[in-house]
Amino acid sequence: MNAIEIKGLTKNFGSKQALKGLNMTVPVGAIYGFIGENGSGKSTTEKLMCGLLVPDGGSIKLYGKDYRDAEVRSHVGVLIESPGCFPNYSVWNNMLLQAANLGIKNAEAEVRKVLKIVRMEGAASNKFKNCSLGMKQRIGIAFALLGNPKLLILDEPINGLDVDGMRIMREVLADIAKLGCTVVISSHVLGELEKIATHYGIVRGGKMIKEMTAAELEASCRTYVALQTKEMNRAKALLACKYSRVEEDENGLLRVYDAKEPEEIVQYLYDNGILISEIKTAKIGLEEYYIDLMKEGK
Amino acid sequence: MKRLKTMLHVDFRRMFTMPLLYIMVGICMVIPVLILVMTTMMDGSVSVNPQTGVETVIEGFDNAWQIIGTVSGSDSAMVMDMTSMCNINLLYFAVAVLACIFVSDDFRSGYAKNLFAVRSKKGDYVISKTVVCFVGGALMFLAFFAGSLLGGTIAGLPFDMTGFGVDGLVMCLLSKIFLMLLFVAIAVLASCVGKQKLWVGLVGSCMVGMLFFMMIPMLTPLNATAMNAVLCLAGGAIFSVGLGLISKTVLNKTSLV
Repeated sequence: MNAIEIKGLTKNFGSKQALKGLNMTVPVGAIYGFIGENGSGKSTTEKLMCGLLVPDGGSIKLYGKDYRDAEVRSHVGVLIESPGCFPNYSVWNNMLLQAANLGIKNAEAEVRKVLKIVRMEGAASNKFKNCSLGMKQRIGIAFALLGNPKLLILDEPINGLDVDGMRIMREVLADIAKLGCTVVISSHVLGELEKIATHYGIVRGGKMIKEMTAAELEASCRTYVALQTKEMNRAKALLACKYSRVEEDENGLLRVYDAKEPEEIVQYLYDNGILISEIKTAKIGLEEYYIDLMKEGK
Repeated sequence: MKRLKTMLHVDFRRMFTMPLLYIMVGICMVIPVLILVMTTMMDGSVSVNPQTGVETVIEGFDNAWQIIGTVSGSDSAMVMDMTSMCNINLLYFAVAVLACIFVSDDFRSGYAKNLFAVRSKKGDYVISKTVVCFVGGALMFLAFFAGSLLGGTIAGLPFDMTGFGVDGLVMCLLSKIFLMLLFVAIAVLASCVGKQKLWVGLVGSCMVGMLFFMMIPMLTPLNATAMNAVLCLAGGAIFSVGLGLISKTVLNKTSLV
């Protein structure tokens, strides 16, 4: 059974069509990286899944049941945009309010447990308004974790965090993954997402353009040869005659995408009087795969 | 039912821990003191229009109970002067302000989003808000009543109960409190429509509230009987159920973020 199954989802905001028949399948236990440009429909899809927006068409099923089903909704934890706390209340009191709303019996113990998961046990007495962005995002995740949800929907939990905040968040998300719940994370920070996601969905213009597992991504990510030489321009021109795609990357290395072996490039350039100072083979990551996919679409 | 009880518990806790309620209750206590003392000080003073030369005599309260209401059938019940406007009925708008801030705060902080995204029913939400704001509003009415007693004493006004008794006064207060259900329901509906936009709730509830405002003195005179209280309770309840259903529909059919 799939944790989430969306078919033909449509949503309009006035004359703007935000979702144009989006399909999405999230298997149980997956960490689903939900990727797309700003305005591509990620947040709208997540809000629709949570019942915060009303769809214009299509169907959303959570664990095989309609998303409005009260029983199935009781197993969903959500962080959409901001945690939804009262700024003048302490983190602890905000958490207790939410725990009470969820009808959690041993609220204090449960709050303590989730605060520990998100590494916030030391900041429970802080007023919410005094918390940093990273702390607020972790509090949001703690909110979502209350009541042992089977499905977590996290809307951009890692965006805007500093390096340390990102590291803590990565650890938190890895711990959550160990709890065995299905997680849907939308984010622009693809490098971080790549470290935790088991499945990906790439959305563009309100439509799902690609869904794949991490293994499929790995298989479809092309290998390239990156090299450096003192005569970069000449090398680039020479390689461009032989290989279909040669690019200079942000680190000043020449990337040759369809070379079978690095040795053949070394030999080819050597024959043309160019010496290579550095050469390596690598695979494009999720970020580059995504950029390529977007370029192809355009 | 369990969810509703939980939500009521949480909302009561929020209402009674938020400074706004105590500020409003404090204001409600001070306002009658200020009105009674100041109008008594100005009573009989004459203001002259410099352009027309017309003299206007400012009339204050003759009786401290006038700030609560008028006796049905009396001359003062027919006249819309300052004393009939500056009375406890103004609180219906103050209660609407309390309700609008309380509900809109849920949407602005994202608390409502948390509630609806998970497992709360919209109907429970509307009932909970209406009940809690009603109780908060009732406290404001009682504070105003206490302020009226204090203000009347300070201003040295008589507490003349000609034409009504203590029972009438109690029924008048009860009727006014029950009728508040209607105004709270209007404010909750307007806030559900406005969501994060507090001004929509405030403007909406004041505009719709105005439609019902004029009938308050008729329904809640100082010589009110149990029938007045029952009518106000029934009317308030019927309207709050109807408006509550509309609020629920609004929440069901519109975006919550």
